[in-house]
Amino acid sequence: MVRISNWPLYIDDRTIPEFQQATGITVQYHEDINDNNEFFAKIAEPLRRGQSIDRDVIVLTDWVAGRMIRLGYATPLDVAAFPNRVNLAPLAQDADFDPGRRFTVPWLFGMVGLGYNPRVTGREITSVGDLFDPAFKGRVTMVTEMRDTLGLVMLGEGRDPMKCTVDDIRAAAARVKQARESGQVRAFTGNDYTEDLANGNIAIAIAWSGDIQGLHADNPDLRWVAPREGAMLFSDNMLIPKTSDRVALAMRWIDWCYAPAHSAQIVSRAGYISAVQGAIPALERIAPALARSPLVNPPPAVLSQLRNFRALSDAEDSEFTRIFLDAIGG
Amino acid sequence: MPSAGSGRRAALAPALLVLPGVLWLAAFFVLPLLTLARTSVAAPWWDGYARAFTGYGTIFARSFGYAALATVAALLLAYPLAYVLAFRAGRWRPLLLGLVILPFFTTFLVRTFAWKTILNDGGLVVRVLQALHLLPPDGRLLDTAWAVIGGLTYNFLPFMILPIYTSLEKIDRRLVEAAQDLFSSPVRAFRLVVLPLSLPGVLAGSLLTFIPAAGDFVNAELLGGPNQRMIGSVIQAQFLQARDYPLAAALSFGLMAVITVGVVAAARLLREEQLA
Repeated sequence: MVRISNWPLYIDDRTIPEFQQATGITVQYHEDINDNNEFFAKIAEPLRRGQSIDRDVIVLTDWVAGRMIRLGYATPLDVAAFPNRVNLAPLAQDADFDPGRRFTVPWLFGMVGLGYNPRVTGREITSVGDLFDPAFKGRVTMVTEMRDTLGLVMLGEGRDPMKCTVDDIRAAAARVKQARESGQVRAFTGNDYTEDLANGNIAIAIAWSGDIQGLHADNPDLRWVAPREGAMLFSDNMLIPKTSDRVALAMRWIDWCYAPAHSAQIVSRAGYISAVQGAIPALERIAPALARSPLVNPPPAVLSQLRNFRALSDAEDSEFTRIFLDAIGG
Repeated sequence: MPSAGSGRRAALAPALLVLPGVLWLAAFFVLPLLTLARTSVAAPWWDGYARAFTGYGTIFARSFGYAALATVAALLLAYPLAYVLAFRAGRWRPLLLGLVILPFFTTFLVRTFAWKTILNDGGLVVRVLQALHLLPPDGRLLDTAWAVIGGLTYNFLPFMILPIYTSLEKIDRRLVEAAQDLFSSPVRAFRLVVLPLSLPGVLAGSLLTFIPAAGDFVNAELLGGPNQRMIGSVIQAQFLQARDYPLAAALSFGLMAVITVGVVAAARLLREEQLA
């Protein structure tokens, strides 16, 4: 049996049964990751003591995956047991938190931009600056992920999150804090902004691309846009915790997810960007409309504008987090 | 000497009776508390406390302010209700008591989420208030202090009703009759007899409301915005997001210290009240 932790609504309902049937390996799939910090806080102590966390594959966002690697909590991927690794898309070949992708491969990529409903805003949204437009006072949300909110605000100010210094962070945080204190920003949220966006409580949200894709079926008016100043790119990555005693089974699962047809199936439900070469043609066969969505298959013009947040040392991470928490009110 | 033997056994019995509870609390309350105390003084020992007491004054004040307002609101709602339950409900009493306890059948979290829907910007409550000009046309309830205080009041109301009901219900009716026989008006009888005798229930209810309300973070997180965060949310964020354990632990002890002082003061006040 292979035990997996992933984020909610991040897989279709065919991939697991098909894997079980084809390999005879039972999958225990937990949708128990809701927040990187909280999940990390839960697993860090047992991993430090070398105890099992009862998981063989976990899916973490780039920067926490990087922290896991630095702390020695991840097992290197067994390339010999991973023939589908050749399908790794160019975008996914390398990562500054995991040079050469020795420990991780992306589950999916996603973009951080702006979600809005033109019927509520009364106009198209094109710029990060629109978050601070007084016309939307009290009807803006930002996310509690420091890198996503400050990354996007920095892009809006022409600062590069790939090279940001503590001064850039301070400036962006000051802007966020001012917007919070003036009542411009109504809430700092996790995934729960989607409800408020759908029912019109809020006009503009810092939004994850796949969330808006997922809302489309019921709310065709909602839009997601990469602001003209650029959008943030993140990856959620599969890795094997060092205390897993089922590495071979975990590799079978990872390899299975890297077949283009399987990745297409996953994308068909999750609505994010596949890291597997050939997934888009495969998606065209099962969900042609989705395969053309710029949220799942971003055009080169958008791709070239995407920025990562640079990898931070632990000291920087805690300093930046402290500045950010102060800005968002606690 | 059988009498001495039974005396020893009798003396031992209370100790044996409290033992399981004491052991339980030692393992699951005292030990974690000591660990938390050690965390709060991680080197340098004063750093966490210094930061807790300098940077979080507003948040502490807001937490205790919201908790106090919720306690007063709950008291005003609960006392008449408990009074009717104790003195006037008659055969309806079991049903009404059941209704007071009914909310506990679903979890706290689900009920608070339901409030999010009820107070929604486009929802009935907001539209009615807007139509009555109690809220400006672009006004809202969700993500305001009103929503947080309302949520706290709602969630802790049963903890106010039940102790007050219990103390009212125990009052010897003959005392009230005696007051009336001595030509006391109903209001005077209430003020001189019923109210003083129900004060222990009022105090217990107030503590059971105020203490958890001050440390609560669910209501502030779900019904409040970023300018309504309470100390509970801050502690949670410092533990889980910033991983600043000394600060989070120091904040927890700060919260406990203020509450302890408040409880001791309230208990003393009540004792003086009863002696007077």
